[in-house]
Amino acid sequence: MRALDELTNIASNLVNPAVEEWKQQGKKVVGFMCTYVPEEILYAANILPVRLRAPNCVETTSADVYLSHLNCTFIRSCLEFTLEDKYKFLDGLVFTNSCDHVRRLYDILREIRPTDFPLLYLISVPHKVDDDLIAWFRDELDRFKESVEKTFGVEITDASLRNAIDVYNETRSLLRQLYDLRKGKNPPLTGAEALSVIVAGFSLPKNKYNELLRQLLAELGEREGISDYRARLMIAGSGGCDNPAYLQVMEDLGGLIVTDSLCFGSRYFCEPVEIGDDPLLSLAKAYLNRPSCPRMVDNAGERSDYIRQMVNDFNVDGVVFQRIRYCDLWGGQLLHVEKEMKESSIPMLSIDREYSLGAVGQLRTRVQAFLERIER
Amino acid sequence: MVTEEKKNVLKEVLDYLSFATDMIVERFGEKHPEWAWIYALLVDYYEEAYKAKDTGKPVAWINFGVPPELFYAMDIMPVVMDALTGSLASIGSAVKYIDLAEERVPDYICANNKTLIGAALAGDVPLPDILVQPAHPCDSNLATYPVIAEYYNIPYFCIDMLYFKTERSAPYVASELRKLVSLLEEITGKRLDLDKLKQVMQYSNQAHELILKHEVLRQAVPCPYSSLEAISEYGLVLTLAGTPQLVDYFERRYALSKDKVSRGEGHLPKEREKHRLVWIYGAPTFDMTLLMWLEKEYGAVSVANMNNNFTMQPVEDLSNLDSILMGLAEKVTLLPMTRECGGPWENWLDASMDLIKRYKADAAVFAGHVACKSNWAVIKLIKDKLHDELGIPTLVLEMDLFDPRVASTDTLKAQFDNFFNVHFKG
Ligand code: SF4
Ligand code: SF4
Repeated sequence: MRALDELTNIASNLVNPAVEEWKQQGKKVVGFMCTYVPEEILYAANILPVRLRAPNCVETTSADVYLSHLNCTFIRSCLEFTLEDKYKFLDGLVFTNSCDHVRRLYDILREIRPTDFPLLYLISVPHKVDDDLIAWFRDELDRFKESVEKTFGVEITDASLRNAIDVYNETRSLLRQLYDLRKGKNPPLTGAEALSVIVAGFSLPKNKYNELLRQLLAELGEREGISDYRARLMIAGSGGCDNPAYLQVMEDLGGLIVTDSLCFGSRYFCEPVEIGDDPLLSLAKAYLNRPSCPRMVDNAGERSDYIRQMVNDFNVDGVVFQRIRYCDLWGGQLLHVEKEMKESSIPMLSIDREYSLGAVGQLRTRVQAFLERIER
Repeated sequence: MVTEEKKNVLKEVLDYLSFATDMIVERFGEKHPEWAWIYALLVDYYEEAYKAKDTGKPVAWINFGVPPELFYAMDIMPVVMDALTGSLASIGSAVKYIDLAEERVPDYICANNKTLIGAALAGDVPLPDILVQPAHPCDSNLATYPVIAEYYNIPYFCIDMLYFKTERSAPYVASELRKLVSLLEEITGKRLDLDKLKQVMQYSNQAHELILKHEVLRQAVPCPYSSLEAISEYGLVLTLAGTPQLVDYFERRYALSKDKVSRGEGHLPKEREKHRLVWIYGAPTFDMTLLMWLEKEYGAVSVANMNNNFTMQPVEDLSNLDSILMGLAEKVTLLPMTRECGGPWENWLDASMDLIKRYKADAAVFAGHVACKSNWAVIKLIKDKLHDELGIPTLVLEMDLFDPRVASTDTLKAQFDNFFNVHFKG
């Protein structure tokens, strides 16, 4: 399993050989947060977009001088990494107003590290979708594009945008194929492995990633499927779920994770970008219309429907709805999801967690009890 | 057979306010007529809200930051959810609803939202015909109201807002308001009457101009204004903007302050006003007597707070719908709390610095509501700036504005004791 090993390796670190090689060629790397940032715009400028993460961050002592214990540990970990200069390899940081914690991280960095990153940018994303707002967002993306062009002295043409969209659409299609393999009775890979594959893609040039995905799909065709599991689980909830070890804890107990509704997961790739005459408009439309996170206000019902649909498609026995503590967006959504799952008789386990894998004992106990409940 | 009346929190608040008004008139009628004025206005408002369903008037639940003027112009009763939950907290009735909500949502959701969720789950609040909120100030609001609407199948509208305040903000919000008007027309089956809106806007502007004039008087030393009012008036403005009652209130209130200031009188006698506090965020809704204790114990008058820091301008051009919506859009993006909590942190910093300077304060208090994660994220930056640039100390309190169980009044008092001891001893 050469491709899987390589992708798993990449996922476990912040920087990988492909990023190093990219930098050695004198090319730029820009970190972004969250999935509402259209990476294609950066890719079209021959800039490598890397999604911000803080793998293996266990303490946030320096970050906690600024952020409080009431802020989500994902954001605190990212600030910790900035203060420890672990993002020094990045030439820019792009944020969206996706949640209160993210936007304040952007605010803090502007104040305390204003010159560390040549590009420090926040894209204002509408909280709902209609034709007006799509058009507005298209203009916002145009401004972002101009800012990238100006900061790095590059030109982003329509042709390069189209090419980027093609490459990214191929990624989306390959990831969909990968997820389709998990629908069967004996999926060829675990949830932890699948998460590694996705996470790796956030820090690789997508053309290289696509090659690895193709290779992976071929290798998985040869692999014997997994049959020794107790239940098929789906994982839903907060972003900041980029740690395969977290899923591994559940899988070690016999709960095989077969799908998810994560932005580090199926919500990232499930819809292609349909290219029209204006590539920026195509991006605006696609990004606003993709299966949403609860920052979007008009889709509370659809988000629960999405989970239900996934449960059916992947033959799921139970849903683990996890949130990083203090994540209001997913916390509020719980009210609706729980009701819907109950009405559809879908067992659900609701968990508040931290970004780093801390209280494993407690997680184990709860998952164990959940699996017993499902088995009965 | 006597059938038990269905519990209704609007009635509960109404009964309490009626009782409190009588008590205030009796005990403070002469010394503080203004307190009774505020309560009397609230009694009328809740009475109307309570009776709306019976009279067949459509009801909207709205958030602070949604212009009530549009609703008054369309004969829709705007029940301001934050004012309702705040009132429930102030009479000690929020806690049970918070507990109920916490069975269904995480405890870190704002108690303001949990109170409403709990009341709805208990069936103790009649559901509205529509729920309207702005996209600011916070995730907790944004995460709960659309979910409540979906849960109970209530029509819902969010006035989207931009992160940065630029020349693009007002047209953006105005376009959102236009969509809201269309939806309200659909729900009520009635067209917006432009003449009626103009009339409502005239009231709104009259009150607004008095607020701005009064604001100048309020800065006097000694402060002519009691701490309690400084907090309560905010709710009043965001609830009653566009009504003649609010104009009447501010006319009387302005005259009162003017008279006091001209005689050099303050809420506390000049020699007793030792400290001037600016609350750069809210204040404990569950126990406002803390403010009186500060006056008594330390001569510390709470001269201003973030919430009733109205600095935006009235809507200038009332000639047509577009210009009115544009003016309202400009106004709502600059409303207190929307402004401080919703956009970049500098909004909060600038507003706080400005308040401290204008009101000649010597200390700032951050009533750090545990649910306001965006404020907690930058309080260190704010505190440092206030210290470095204005030489002002800030007391940072970790508390819940609605729920005394996070930090009780006694706990807060102890922190004030310590603060005064460290910064103002001798
Ligand atoms: S986990 Fe929630 S609170 Fe944390 S960054 Fe993501 S959306 Fe924001
Ligand atoms: S008090 Fe803070 S957290 Fe609560 S609704 Fe208001 S801004 Fe949001």
